[in-house]
Amino acid sequence: MFPRVPDQHKKGKPLIPNGLGVVYVLFATVYLFLMYFLGIVESSNGISAPLTLAVCILFGGFMGLMDDWMDLRWRYKAFLPLVAALPLVYLASEWGLGTSISLPIIGVIEFGQAYYFVIIPLIVMVVTNVINQLGGLNGLETLCPAIILIGLVGLSQSNMILMLGPIIFWLALTVLNVQGKIFVGNTGSFAIGMTIASFAVITNLKSSLLISILPVVFNSSLILLTYFLTRKKAHVTFDGKQLVSDHRRSLVTIVTYHRPLTERQVVAIIALIVLLFTSASVLFYWPGA
Amino acid sequence: MAANGVLSKERLVSGLRSLSKLRIKASHRSILLISALALILFIAFTIRLLPMRWEIPNGASLLSEFDPYYQFSLTRYMVQNGLFSPYGPTPWVNTQSWYPQGLDMSYSLPSLPMTTAVLYQVASAFGLNLDLMTFSAMMPIFLATLSCLLIFFIGKDIGGKAVGLFAAFLLALSPSFIARTSLGFFDTESIGIFALLLFIYTFLRAIEKTRPIPSMLKYSVVAGGALALFICGWGASYFMIGLALLFVLTLILLKRYSRRLLFSYSLTFGLGIFLATFIPRFSTTYLLTAPVLAVAGVFVLLCLVEVLRVSKSARTRRLVVVVSLAVMLVGFVALWQLGYMQDIAGKFITVLNPLFRSLQPLIESVAEHRITAWGSIYYELGIGILFFLAGLYLVLKNPTNRNVFLLLFGITSLYFAGSMVRLLNILAPAYSLLAAIGILGMLKPFYTLLRTPEVSMKSKRGLKRVGKEYSIIAVLIIFLLLMTTLVFSPQNGGVPRVYGQAYSPITISAGSLPIVPPNEPVREWINMLIWTRDNLQATTIVSSWWDYGYWLTNGGNVTSLADNATINATQIENIGFSFMANETLSLEMLERYDAEYVLVFTTLGISTDSSGQYVAYDAGFGDEGKWMWMARISGNAADRFIEEGLLDEETAWTDESDFGSYNNETGTWEWNEVGMNTTIYKMMSWAKERWTNETGFVYPDRPGIEPEYFKEVFFSGVELDPFYAAENYFGIVPLVSLWEIDWEKYYSDTQIE
Repeated sequence: MFPRVPDQHKKGKPLIPNGLGVVYVLFATVYLFLMYFLGIVESSNGISAPLTLAVCILFGGFMGLMDDWMDLRWRYKAFLPLVAALPLVYLASEWGLGTSISLPIIGVIEFGQAYYFVIIPLIVMVVTNVINQLGGLNGLETLCPAIILIGLVGLSQSNMILMLGPIIFWLALTVLNVQGKIFVGNTGSFAIGMTIASFAVITNLKSSLLISILPVVFNSSLILLTYFLTRKKAHVTFDGKQLVSDHRRSLVTIVTYHRPLTERQVVAIIALIVLLFTSASVLFYWPGA
Repeated sequence: MAANGVLSKERLVSGLRSLSKLRIKASHRSILLISALALILFIAFTIRLLPMRWEIPNGASLLSEFDPYYQFSLTRYMVQNGLFSPYGPTPWVNTQSWYPQGLDMSYSLPSLPMTTAVLYQVASAFGLNLDLMTFSAMMPIFLATLSCLLIFFIGKDIGGKAVGLFAAFLLALSPSFIARTSLGFFDTESIGIFALLLFIYTFLRAIEKTRPIPSMLKYSVVAGGALALFICGWGASYFMIGLALLFVLTLILLKRYSRRLLFSYSLTFGLGIFLATFIPRFSTTYLLTAPVLAVAGVFVLLCLVEVLRVSKSARTRRLVVVVSLAVMLVGFVALWQLGYMQDIAGKFITVLNPLFRSLQPLIESVAEHRITAWGSIYYELGIGILFFLAGLYLVLKNPTNRNVFLLLFGITSLYFAGSMVRLLNILAPAYSLLAAIGILGMLKPFYTLLRTPEVSMKSKRGLKRVGKEYSIIAVLIIFLLLMTTLVFSPQNGGVPRVYGQAYSPITISAGSLPIVPPNEPVREWINMLIWTRDNLQATTIVSSWWDYGYWLTNGGNVTSLADNATINATQIENIGFSFMANETLSLEMLERYDAEYVLVFTTLGISTDSSGQYVAYDAGFGDEGKWMWMARISGNAADRFIEEGLLDEETAWTDESDFGSYNNETGTWEWNEVGMNTTIYKMMSWAKERWTNETGFVYPDRPGIEPEYFKEVFFSGVELDPFYAAENYFGIVPLVSLWEIDWEKYYSDTQIE
């Protein structure tokens, strides 16, 4: 059913089913629809949070599907998520969600109306794309978003029910991805990116998200800056067992810079970095902290 | 034997076989198409009929909102006195409105009332026994269903039958279109959208290159008729004219000029504008308005292109261009100097620059004239915006003449819909067509994949092959996205937007409250109008805020001072003054208008205070939510009131802040001493006091003040049981209070003979 693609960092490059993220999209949508139909999460101020989340995930999934199918150009990928930001902007402005972002050291930044019309679309656009840029190593594109999402859910326990099913399902996919049995594809990475951004906006956890996602943003910034300045892409060399790189153009190449490591070791190190930032954000924003 | 020969088995069978030739031959595709279209039209019709549920207890349908009553009065007059009677030979001045000068009805747009009057008479001739108001209430439904049929044909011409069907389906379920075409919404938009679509369909057909000349002429004539119907039917006609001009200009710029375009354009616009000049509202002066001059300008341009095409000498061409441009420039400057262009600039500026309206309290006080918040567009379209954008992208990628038109239609209607709430209606057909193209465009690659056994897939991880299941999932995701647009709208709490819009009673049957009563209609307003009709004369003058003018005149059969026609700003300022001034000054103003009664509408909510006692408070859906507009509008004329000696510098007000302030802690308005001395405050507070006294256990949130010179005549709703209100009116109590002016006491107290 799913197209098979070679696993680049395995001996013999075995063919692995790709695009299983679509199963996550369908599961999350059905789960969120049930949350609404069974009345588990009631509408507030005339807006349904589970349906808003479902629309965003569906949109992310569809975008990923298009990307998997026809390799969308970057200009489309960058700006398409703005459409998915609309339901979130509407929800945030109708619910009157806080328009400030509180950061350690910097303090509180008040955005006023710009939060709804500039910051939320930016959050959706950036988060979706930076999560999509993680990849290339088994587990990287599933484990890191899972850690960030679990951190957010931990901070917003009253909304845990919204994400419980999708997280469990995503973790199952993560296990299979780490084992090198499946790839979630762009469908999965866009959908999970959209999930994270949407959940953070709906639960008003944008400050926490900003800290958790820093390593991933750093990774994307490094890739893009290097590309725009030197027109060179990041890549690692695989000798059949270990990965190594001779430049520092992404998080993966920094970790493997003149330091041969197995694929699992690299993924574990990067996941650990994300975990550190997520833990810091959880500690900082823990209710009452 | 002979009989046997005639009735033989073979002859019988062959006779029956020959009968089968009479059967209409249709392919399965056609049957499916016709069935789908019929179903869509059925949905379009029945969904707009849903408000009938609240009209059944009335025995006939009333009209929704306020403006439809104006259209109805015109229709009734045409049915009773002849189709052209409002316009001449003696123009009809409705003396029951805008007393004392009356409302000149000969300046009204005739398309809707005239069409309705004609159809009503035809239907009556065929024995249809329906009262005119119910017939008028049904007209928008009929026209909207026809509009859905028309958009099918437009869509079919643009992108095939599937696009046509999707476009018809989306228009049938468009919330903003339903809002303005459901039962009782007998207003200009219903015929306007119909004429707009008829114009688009016929004009785009007329300019088709492959069409034979007689067919081109036929379509151009119908397009001209549709344009006339539009100009004489809806105030938004400038939009259509402007859009068509922009389209023709774009075709010229894209070097797609053809002689057919020149002929078709000339015939369509010539005929449309010629017919429009027959109604007094436009007359021949219409020919000198900027939009018509622009039509002429584009015509000159088309002629110029034609001359350039046929002229062979380069020198002649240069000369023609220079002379034409010079003539056009001089003409433009001359018209500007003569004031024709400035006039229209003023009209357009309210749409082109929406912020201009926010400076005008009289315009801004009307909800449908307000600037559309971006949220309203999202609330209207949901994530369907994605399909609309995809449609725009796809037509941009394939710029055929029709697609160029659709692109311009989509962009301009989106801009204008963002400028004024009621113009979301113009966006509805553009959205339906573009979203239909977007949906089918997005489905196409996956649909193609479904019909092919295996297809190559480009991927960053390598070129591989994908199966049919892949496209099934993609189609499923698009279907789910459509579901969240049409069925489970997150922005409407999961309730389909279309259902929320369609399944609600017409305004007067909801008692002018934002509720959907579960059982019977809200009767307070209806009862008041029955009372005035039965107890007052048609010449009795009743003053009220202008919102209720049409209801009082057409439903209550009394004479009102102002209504939604808002033709006399000074009179509205004076009415505002009569409510915001103290009683003595109010009467001084009302005396100018020979007013005998004053009507005030107020709504109450019920809550419990800290001691557990039931308290009635202002709910905000009646005049208690509108009085600040009375203060602002009359405050605009403070200088005039000072000049007239009604007020002085000390007592004059500019807005509501002179009458109290808003308490942020309690979230309520707190009236000051001046505020509590106003006529409106006394009338509202005393109506509240009366209702609470009747209940015996609900208390007013503040004591009422009984007016001195106004006597209670009929308070509709004063005996309303709070439990009934809680059960049927969502706890809101509507009170329509009619006060008789005690002129005797006033004259006696002020010692005026």
